[in-house]
This record gives sequence, structure tokens and C-alpha cells, in this order.
Amino acid sequence: MRKNRPRQSKERRYETFRLFLLSGVGLTLTLILLVFIFGSQTYSPLHRLLFWGISPIQKGASAVTDTVVSFKQEYIDLRTVREDNKRLWAQLEQYKEIIDDSREAIAISVRLQKLLDFKEANDYPTVAARIIGKDPSLWFNNVIIDRGTSDGVDSGMPVVTGAGIVGQVYEVSTDYSKVLLTIAPSSAMDVIIQNSRERGILKGTGENSYRLNYILKKINISKGDYIVTAGYGGMFPTGLPVGTVSKVIRKPRGMFLEVEVTPAVDFTTLENLLVILRNKISFDDARL
Amino acid sequence: MLTITFIFVGILLVVFQTTVTMFTPLSTASPDLYYILVAFLAFRLDVVRSVAIILIVSCTLDVFSGTIIGFYPLLCYGGYFLIRFISIKMPVRESLYQLPLVALSYLIVSLLVYHTLDFLQPDTLGAWHWSRILLRAALIIPLAWPLFRIFELLYSTLRSKRYRINLFSSSSGNQFRDKERLL
Repeated sequence: MRKNRPRQSKERRYETFRLFLLSGVGLTLTLILLVFIFGSQTYSPLHRLLFWGISPIQKGASAVTDTVVSFKQEYIDLRTVREDNKRLWAQLEQYKEIIDDSREAIAISVRLQKLLDFKEANDYPTVAARIIGKDPSLWFNNVIIDRGTSDGVDSGMPVVTGAGIVGQVYEVSTDYSKVLLTIAPSSAMDVIIQNSRERGILKGTGENSYRLNYILKKINISKGDYIVTAGYGGMFPTGLPVGTVSKVIRKPRGMFLEVEVTPAVDFTTLENLLVILRNKISFDDARL
Repeated sequence: MLTITFIFVGILLVVFQTTVTMFTPLSTASPDLYYILVAFLAFRLDVVRSVAIILIVSCTLDVFSGTIIGFYPLLCYGGYFLIRFISIKMPVRESLYQLPLVALSYLIVSLLVYHTLDFLQPDTLGAWHWSRILLRAALIIPLAWPLFRIFELLYSTLRSKRYRINLFSSSSGNQFRDKERLL
């Protein structure tokens, strides 16, 4: 019993000391906290130390997290990229088709605009036609158009584009016509040189060019001169563009020059045409 | 049935040539498909049927092409009888030799018809270009083989009993005589 009594008092003292120490620490911390809260609100050296010491750890942790997230995202992306690729290729093809269609629409629009310009610039009654067939032979130059007698088209009527004269209706049925192109060897028409007003006969060559006949050597004609329809005989209206002089050959013999003419119309891209309904109007009246 | 079918085929070939293979009115690399049919008829069909088929096909060509009526009948009949004559006289009758023969006959007939018409109606035809006509003749050779196969298939199908129409003749009972009549 006597041995136990000092041991108990020692334990009590220790507990009292611990209580005091704990209260002291708590009070100190409370004071520090109060100072922090109601103080100047600036980082103390402790704060700076913590800031300096922990930020790299934070940075490292953040990098690791970012890597993990990025890896996860890349994995997900990889899983979806094939589908995206397919979808994008399909979209690309679709847009390519749209662009091609748009380009074609623009080309058609330009061609039709030229025809409309011609129609508005001239008072001749016309009917628009489309080429549906081309002469397959090497020695003739005809095209088949989708207009015939039911549209008012008749044989002999001139056929033009916005650029100039193309040919003449050769044969007609109710809904279709055969047009003899001006570049055909069997085609000939009266023309005049626009500047000098000299007359000549323009013959097709079967190629993409004309030959201008019966131009006297004394006539002043040079490369680049414009050739237009003369309108004699009422077959073609006067002043329609035919082409430009591309070559003039003066041979020592003979009375006439050899003149080559480049067509105003590009025969390689012919699609839409206008048939001038000649019988509906007299060209002589139209000129007046 | 056979005649009508081959007339239809010939018209289709003409339409195909005047629309699909002629990219521009000045295209030169457009094979003369109708001539391959003419050659096939010369090799395989009897004269009466061939003459009827060629008449319709060449008149169709006259409608869609050219300014001289009769140009294509002259070309087609000329080609037909030339090929028929050569094929009868030729000792070798293998298809390997038939294809160049078609191109060669095309060249000869074109040359003859062109110069005859140029003499009779000057300033009506375009200039003769060897390069272009040789190109056309050369184009016939590779196209003749598949077309011959198609024509042959059609021919053999239509020759089978299912498609045979004998409106004016009844079977005599003599199979050999019936066969002779068909040929």
C-alpha cells in the first residue's frame, strides 16, 4: 500500500503537466491563428516556406495527373479516331461533290448568261436549244439539237451562241434538228471585215478554223481583224461575230489573199445554243 | 427476232457513238462501233439478214451524221462485202486474224468511199488525215474483241429454239432441211 501511493502522485503530476502543456500549445496556436486572421494578411515566413516547399510537389502531382488524364484521353481518342476518320472522309467526298456541282453550275450559268446577253442585245426571236448528239464522222461537222418544228425551228435558220455564229439548221423533225456547223467544209457564208467593210466568202475547213476566200490583194487586212456576218441574202443577221483573222498569206501568183480565220465560238465546248427564228422577223427590218 | 435484235443493237451503238464517245464536235478518238457490227454480220450472219440490218443502221447514221445521204450505206455495204469476200477466200479462219482484218477493211473502204465522194462532190468532205483514220482503224481492234463476244452471245442465245419464231413456216419434220433454212 505504501509503495503505491508515491507512484499515484507521480502519475497525477504527469497528467497535470500534460494538461498544462496541451493547453499552452492550444493557446499558442489560437493566438497564432488570431494573429494570422486579424493581422496584416500577408504571407509570413512560414507561409513562404510552405509555399516554396510544397509547390514543386503540387507541380509534380499535377504533371502526373495531367499525364494520366492525357493518356486516358488519347486512348479514348484513339478508339474514336477511326470512326472520325471515316466520317471525315465521307464528309470530304461529299464536299468535293458539292464543289464539283457548284463549279459545273457556275460554268452552265456563265454559258447561259452569255446566251441571255446575246438575246437581250438583239431583238431577234430565239429559242434555246441543247446539243444532244454529235457527228461521229471525220469528214462532216453536224450536231443534233433538241428543238424542232414544234418549237418553231425550220431549216435554214441560223444557230448562235453568245460568242457568235455556230451554224445553220440543216434538217428538222418535230422535236429535233440537225445543225450544220459553220466549220463544216460544205458550209459557206457571206462575211465582211469589220474595219474595212470588205466582203468575202467564209468557208469551213472541217477543222477548228475557217478560210476566207475572195479577198483581193489590194485590201488592207491584218492579223486580229474581226470578221462578222454580212447579212446579204437574209440568211444570217448582219454583224454577228464570226471570228478573227489569224493568218494572212500573200502569194506572188493570183488575185486573192489566203486568209485563215479563228472562230469566235469555241466548238470544242459547245453545249447550249440559240436558234434565231428567222422567219418570224425580217433581218432587214430589224437593222432599220 | 435475230434481225430485229441486231438492228436494235446497231441503233444503240450509233446512239452511243454520237453521244458518249464524242466528247466534242471535233473529237477524233471516237471508235466507229457500227463498223464492228458490220464486220460481225459479215462473219456470222447470212446475206439477206445482214443487208436488212445494215440498211437500217446505215440510214440511222445518215440521219445523225453527214450531209451526203447514202454515205454510210456505201461505207457499210462496202465494208460488209469486202470482209465477206476476204473471209471466204482467206485460208485461216481464226478470230485472231479477224480483228486486224476488220481494221484493214475499214481503212480500205474509208479510203475508197472518201476519194470517190470527194471526186463526185468536191468541197463537201473535210480533209483526209492519215493520222486520224489510222487512229480510228486502230481503235476498232481492241474494241472488236469484246463486242464480238457480246454479239456472239446474243447470236447464240437468239439462235436457240426458245427465241426462234417461225411465223410462215411449219416444221417439215426434216431437221436437216430446217437447219439449212435457218442458215
